[in-house]
Amino acid sequence: MQRLGRLWLLWRRPPAAGVAAKNLGLREVASGVSPPGSTSPRALNIFDRDMKRKQKNWAARQPEPMKFDYLKEAVGSQIADRVYDITRNFSLALDVGCGRGYIAQHLNKETVGKFFQVDIAENALKNTLEMEIPTVSVLADEEFLPFKENTFDLVVSSLSLHWVNDLPRALEQIHYVLKPDGVFIGAMFGGDTLYELRCSLQLAETEREGGFSPHVSPFTAVNDLGHLLGRAGFNTLTVDTDEIQVNYPGMFELMEDLQGMGESNCAWNRKALLHRDTMLAAAAVYREMYRNEDGSVPATYQIYYMIGWKYHDSQARPAERGSATVSFGELGKINNLMSQGKKSQ
Amino acid sequence: MSGNGAVWGRVRGRLRAFPGRLAACGAEAAAYGRCVQASTAPGGRLAKDLCAPEFEALRRCFAAASSPGDSPLWGCGLEEAPWKDQTRSLHTGLSVVPFVAKKTLRGGL
Repeated sequence: MQRLGRLWLLWRRPPAAGVAAKNLGLREVASGVSPPGSTSPRALNIFDRDMKRKQKNWAARQPEPMKFDYLKEAVGSQIADRVYDITRNFSLALDVGCGRGYIAQHLNKETVGKFFQVDIAENALKNTLEMEIPTVSVLADEEFLPFKENTFDLVVSSLSLHWVNDLPRALEQIHYVLKPDGVFIGAMFGGDTLYELRCSLQLAETEREGGFSPHVSPFTAVNDLGHLLGRAGFNTLTVDTDEIQVNYPGMFELMEDLQGMGESNCAWNRKALLHRDTMLAAAAVYREMYRNEDGSVPATYQIYYMIGWKYHDSQARPAERGSATVSFGELGKINNLMSQGKKSQ
Repeated sequence: MSGNGAVWGRVRGRLRAFPGRLAACGAEAAAYGRCVQASTAPGGRLAKDLCAPEFEALRRCFAAASSPGDSPLWGCGLEEAPWKDQTRSLHTGLSVVPFVAKKTLRGGL
């Protein structure tokens, strides 16, 4: 989400023959071109997944990873709550983009028999939190799950789907590996996330440099989320939103925490450089526009929780047209109707 | 990042001092923030250097607020240096001291 400028010295080797000097160090923007053989022609290439893996590895290797875990812990426990709400025990579960295992640590052995943890960063899988459920760690990309069809009773995903390039395909993959009557419970960042940071950087960059480039990655809108889940084949969808507001001393601490969480920007179109002038201006604007009474500045994280089921015959379906036995016009006499129904049973 | 992370650590250390220095310049920061915020009101138009005077004041205060152990990059050293008119930021980490040839390889180290 935020890249804190270029922090390393570069002694550049002389350019190879034919490479224009201005292209040195600039990433090529791959926009709208899908790789050959991809099954979804609408695939976009927005994020550099290789860089995201490096960032997550770096974040997991920090001396104090629990310092930045607060957001993922909160959302992980919310997802675990939703798993407990379903009065069923799952023998085999999958965590897509698990990080250090924030969901599994809240669940118990009765609810989930065995947990598969999937992440793209091996350091995160090596430093998992303590949990009582037996787990298997698999290093895999969220868009290319290496499992057979109809494998899992439960799939969870917490705050990692906002970095996948092809979200429809990722959701289709999750639907594919679910057993019939399996459930997918996911949490994703929503459109209002970090809007204060985004606005402050935009204003400061416009004032200081005359234009701005995106520093906060694009998020899915809640309407699109429902459509995507439906298109992937999920039934009985539930999407609800939650806003977590975290107060920070200032913008620099917020950016440092984002980097420590592994949420640095990795979009292809990110600017490699964030000038100190712009950083200073943005911090001043952030403080002036959004600060609280006690001098701290808030950062909003909007989370969308989604639940989707894979179709099974036993699931409730809408009734057939014309099968109604009472009409809405008799709604006023509903007490009589109900007591009649009880008598006849 | 380089092998032992020395440069990264140094630059990150400088960045860690930013919040403290910014806190020392509360008034200038608030003035600059108010100026930018005023341009977002209906009828205002945010253009480059719209709030340049306020930002200059903030930058000077920020530079003056550097703690004693700081490196001369974008700190007090900027005022006396012959390149003080240079306004682009120096956060690449490259030394601003003009290159002086020290020794030739012929003489050993």
